[in-house]
Amino acid sequence: MNARKLVLVFALLGLALCTTTTAATGTPGVTAKSITIGGTFPFSGPASLYAGIGAGAAAYYQYVNDHGGVNGRKIDYIALDDGYNPAQTVQLTHRLVEQERVFAVVGSLGTEPNLATRPYLNEQKVPQILVATGASVWGTEYKRYPWTIGWQPNYIAEGYIYGRFIVDKVPQAKIGILFQNDAYGHDYIDGLKSGLGVQQRKIVAQEGYEVTASDVASQVAKLKASGANTFFVAATPTFAVQAVALAYKLGWHPTIFMNSVAATNTLMGLAAKSSSPDAVDGMISVRYWMDPSEPKFAKAGSIDLYKSVLAKYAPKANPNDAFNAYGMAQAWTFVYALKQAGKNPTRAGLMKALLHMDTKDNPFLLPGMRLFTTPSDHFPLNQAVLIRYRDGSFRPFGHLLTYPRAKR
Amino acid sequence: MLPGAISGYRCFQLVYVGIFFVALIGLNVLTGHSGQISLGHGAWMAVGAYTTAIVVSHTGVHELWTIPLAGLVAGVAGYVFGFPALRLEGVYLALATFAVAIALPSLAKRFPDLTGGGTGISLDQPKAPFGLPLSPTHWLYALTWTIAVVLFAGSWFLLRGRFGRTLRAVRDSEVAAASIGIDAAAYKRLAFGISAFHGGVAGALMAIAIAYVNPDTFPPTLSILLLTGAVVGGLGSVVGPLVGALFVEFVPLWAQDVSKDAPSVVYGLILVIVMLVAPAGVVDLARRIGTFVANRLTLRPERSSEQTPSLKEAS
Repeated sequence: MNARKLVLVFALLGLALCTTTTAATGTPGVTAKSITIGGTFPFSGPASLYAGIGAGAAAYYQYVNDHGGVNGRKIDYIALDDGYNPAQTVQLTHRLVEQERVFAVVGSLGTEPNLATRPYLNEQKVPQILVATGASVWGTEYKRYPWTIGWQPNYIAEGYIYGRFIVDKVPQAKIGILFQNDAYGHDYIDGLKSGLGVQQRKIVAQEGYEVTASDVASQVAKLKASGANTFFVAATPTFAVQAVALAYKLGWHPTIFMNSVAATNTLMGLAAKSSSPDAVDGMISVRYWMDPSEPKFAKAGSIDLYKSVLAKYAPKANPNDAFNAYGMAQAWTFVYALKQAGKNPTRAGLMKALLHMDTKDNPFLLPGMRLFTTPSDHFPLNQAVLIRYRDGSFRPFGHLLTYPRAKR
Repeated sequence: MLPGAISGYRCFQLVYVGIFFVALIGLNVLTGHSGQISLGHGAWMAVGAYTTAIVVSHTGVHELWTIPLAGLVAGVAGYVFGFPALRLEGVYLALATFAVAIALPSLAKRFPDLTGGGTGISLDQPKAPFGLPLSPTHWLYALTWTIAVVLFAGSWFLLRGRFGRTLRAVRDSEVAAASIGIDAAAYKRLAFGISAFHGGVAGALMAIAIAYVNPDTFPPTLSILLLTGAVVGGLGSVVGPLVGALFVEFVPLWAQDVSKDAPSVVYGLILVIVMLVAPAGVVDLARRIGTFVANRLTLRPERSSEQTPSLKEAS
């Protein structure tokens, strides 16, 4: 058999098929009865811990559809699995835009996957909105990428909140920082310094680690030796758990500030198990969305709503997985913006609505929390409440704290 | 022409098929013809992709010219890797190559000034050069498949000639090959280099197509998927890489569409069935079916007429 011929035929056939194009009319993804949107999530792979976000959002859209949809249109939501691999994210985003003809890409997860698709989506003028990542670039680079907007409070804002708290409540603090040596870790340090203001000399030591490191033992030992009595951990879950356990084993008992990235009951339970409950007790972090296992984190009726939506539309989901609630809070925000975009939504209209948000009604956020944007302020969420770990779980204390707009 | 038969996305998928095709042509030289198992082919793609991304972002050279360079860098890396690695054989070699697949992406995070660390490197969106009237996807398609066809023809000539015969001799019996004066180790290293060269070119094309490179783009699972594709297509078969590339691109996505909850179960089932039905690859199965059908339909009546003269000759 002549194999070359076969390949040439295949290539020419493919090219012939590829040269046909279809013309689009009207706003893509919008019909009289439906609006098609999509997103990419790591349902498999190393980041599948976050899969609940896509599942929670899907359940909420179905709930909205069963209650009449938005302006008479049902939301058709396509969640695809990219395994946290940007090559897959790009391919699947092409699918969402060119084959599924989505109106917008909503809530896709991860800093790197979203960075990979941002130029393409902006070139195509497809909204890339409410992305599930805390990097600050989504809000700062809007002039270059006007079709992209984030959602959650960014890492700088979170660091700032810790800084302010230390200035107000821990005057004798000597801070040692453990940070991941990349954009994410540096965002946290920038935020903390901004919150400390003139008291930045409270930082007595900072030790970075590479993502590729096997452990952070030497860093923790150096931080202990620096005489710090306050330990700020800007680290991803594995390293954060290690750091807390190691500090305790070294006989170092500082006040710990844990970045929200790793501050879940499950993870800190692990740290307690590998050292002692005393290692974790009194640890401080922040939370900005509802925790289904903690009624004090929720608005009246929200947990019941959350549980009933999940039971009906995602019966296999674990209701204690707080990421489901994150997904619902995100989906609620999209539905809100879509309503604001009017009876005949366009992509430009949706972006405009997203830049004129002002509401405290999102049931899945903390009580009193405000979704707020303006054409020059592209950070929808800038508030959080401080939480403290006691007897196996985080509990909120104090009131809602705000990252001031002037700082953004 | 079938208007609207294929969406821009399908065309974009064919770009990926072309990229995997190039990668598998290389893997087929190594695993199919020289008999060495590599679980690290994705690492050579990463080397090629990073070469393109670093050169383009630091010097502003047009990405097109970085493709041969990416192949060369990966090829030399693969050839050099062959020196220590070929002290190992069989499953130990496979593990050593897998170690490369795991280590290389983490290595990229080590030098953030050069590689952009975990955040990676963004490139400009693909665009047809020289003012060619092609959409970005069509340009990528033409580029990828031109290179794929050229490399395919190259490997075809290479493998049907003396070089290919020597490789297969080494694969089938190293002792016998050595006894007729073949430097087996040199040929195996060369196979490693050629294989890595194709991986590097595929990686460069991947970097250009997605306009972004970071360590997560080349996970260890990619290397496993590529080896699976090579086996499913048919090791040592000439058309095997094409079938393998189609498998690598479409089956995992198709599995996701069939079952959202357990795509890996669907994928595994398909793999088991394919391996049961076609243990020597899909191309081999097609050949066997072809022979079977030909025997049934065309050859049988002829056979009797063929046999008659031969019987006459015998008598």
